[in-house]
Amino acid sequence: MEIFLQQLVNGLTIGSIYALVALGYTMVYGVLKLINFAHGDLVALSAYIGLVIIMQLAGVLSPALLILITFIATMIITAIGGIVLERAAYRPLRKAPRLSAVVSALGASMVIENGIMLIWGPMPKIYPASVVPNVNFDLHGVYISLMQILVLVISLVLMVALYLFVNRTKLGTAMRACAIDQDAARLMGIDVDKVIVTTFVIGSALGAVGGLFIGMYYRGITFNMGWIYGLNAFVAAIIGGIGNIPGAMLGGMLLGIFNAFISGYISSSWSMALTYVLLIIIMIFRPTGILGERVAEKV
Amino acid sequence: MKRWSLAGLLALVVALLFTVSVFAADVIKIGVQAPITGKFASEGQSIDKAVRLVVEQVNKKGGLLGKKIVVITCDDEGKAVKAAICARKLVNDGVIAVIGSYTSTCTEAAEPIYYRAGVLQTSDGTSDTLVKHGYWTFFRNSSPNSAEAKFTAEFFLKKQHYKRIAAISDYSTFSVNLTNAVVKDLKKMGGNVVYTGKIVSGSQNFTPILTKIKSYHPDVIYFGGYYTDGGLIRAQMVQLGMKADFVGGDSNDNPEFIKLAGKAAVGAYLIDVPLPEMLPYPAAKKFLKAYKAKYHENPASIWTLFNVDGLRVILYAIQQTKSLDTKKIAHYLHYELKDFPGITGPISFAPNGERIGSAYMAYIIGPDLKYHIVYREK
Repeated sequence: MEIFLQQLVNGLTIGSIYALVALGYTMVYGVLKLINFAHGDLVALSAYIGLVIIMQLAGVLSPALLILITFIATMIITAIGGIVLERAAYRPLRKAPRLSAVVSALGASMVIENGIMLIWGPMPKIYPASVVPNVNFDLHGVYISLMQILVLVISLVLMVALYLFVNRTKLGTAMRACAIDQDAARLMGIDVDKVIVTTFVIGSALGAVGGLFIGMYYRGITFNMGWIYGLNAFVAAIIGGIGNIPGAMLGGMLLGIFNAFISGYISSSWSMALTYVLLIIIMIFRPTGILGERVAEKV
Repeated sequence: MKRWSLAGLLALVVALLFTVSVFAADVIKIGVQAPITGKFASEGQSIDKAVRLVVEQVNKKGGLLGKKIVVITCDDEGKAVKAAICARKLVNDGVIAVIGSYTSTCTEAAEPIYYRAGVLQTSDGTSDTLVKHGYWTFFRNSSPNSAEAKFTAEFFLKKQHYKRIAAISDYSTFSVNLTNAVVKDLKKMGGNVVYTGKIVSGSQNFTPILTKIKSYHPDVIYFGGYYTDGGLIRAQMVQLGMKADFVGGDSNDNPEFIKLAGKAAVGAYLIDVPLPEMLPYPAAKKFLKAYKAKYHENPASIWTLFNVDGLRVILYAIQQTKSLDTKKIAHYLHYELKDFPGITGPISFAPNGERIGSAYMAYIIGPDLKYHIVYREK
């Protein structure tokens, strides 16, 4: 039983990170019908930005303030990165065929990835040991660290906040309108460009939180890690139903939990392969993803 | 016009050949085949510098058998093609022994050429295949990969007395081979391996596999991969409240391991050949001091010192046999040399050119976050 619960904790932790990153994919897809392949690299970039900020401010501020400022500053900088990305790589191709935008996205991904390598070098960079105090709780044989609790709680709060934003606010409603039909939305007086920029800002900022979690929890960051996290998050978004916000959260969590249970109960060597087999099975029965009905309607 | 210059060139070459053979009588030529440029440049240059330092020391004392030693260096760039070219060049230059190369690939590419020319060769290459060709000219001056596995198994069972062993590797050829060899040697010696598994290098989240391993209640986890994963595995073991020891193979030996694992690094064991400054032998301290005095830096790594040992042992054999006949020297090295006091430990060779004994050591990372030797072969 402890093993089961421990695997659940393991899976939920990494799953929350996947979910945060997956939101960026799914929101941009929802509004633009574009797979933003550079999103994973933006996440990696945010981890590096966070590290720079921590190294500058460590020792000057109290730990709680340091974490708070790091998160806010990194989210802002990464959001600006998202805006630049949209301006430079996607807006000029808005009227171009879908494939041109995909190529542009892949190009942007390589630019960011190699840019990180040029600035910070190809060797892994390492977060200082105790940005978050190294506290470990032992709940009857199930171990959970303060960092894991932070990952779970902050992710949950952000996701609920996002859900409320999209469903309860005017801008959120505009976003949903753009997702359904951009031309109609424009006729209704919605500033579509503004909505798109907002989408990139929110997606990038959430990705930045994911990037910081990777840095603070796993500590080692590499210039090319955006690819593997991006891939997993992208798959999570598809499983949940791409374009669907709760779907991305669910997909991320499922991916993390599947992975943990398969490597825990079947075989760690096969965990990735079997995880994807399971995901393919889900796709066969629900081609639009678990919560993806809305996509089906549109098509 | 063209023909004339060609004839002139030929005359020059012939003249040069004559001068070379005239000189050959009163000097002993030693070749260095090393990556002076390219990816391994720092290692190659360090080997070249160290060889020149040793030769300078010998020449200062009047040389060997009354002759001065001359060093000829050829840059193989760490590439097999260049290695073969270098080997032919050094053979043509009339060297009697070659130090190098740094990489196993380059060493193996040059081996048959030296063998056919009867030129002695000593290399730090660790690939097991280097000594499997039956060339009497080849001497390994380091320990092969298989020695690490054997040493690890002995450390586990004779020193630590582990009862339940778990072993993990990543998917790289290096890691799989090393970990499999360790598991094989452990089983051969009667060790109880309760779990073997693989991780995806770079995936960062190892808690699922570690939680699974926890249910086997091992008293040690061996990891035969790289420090980027090893540091995280160690950190996550501690985070999951695992009491088992962590023992990492040689690729975990990197300062970044300690940075990645943080406080969790304390108490972790690593197995590797030692850093130059950790060698416990007096000859090593003396050599390092001389190297630092001449070049104002430390040798690039322990591999430089292995090569120095290769050179020293060959020079010693020349002195003992009072001969420049490579067959005689090789025979002496194979069968008569016993426990020469090398700077990387005692040196003897098996008849296949393999260095006997292992230079591997086991370290524990102490609360001061420094390495402390806990076990080494006597």
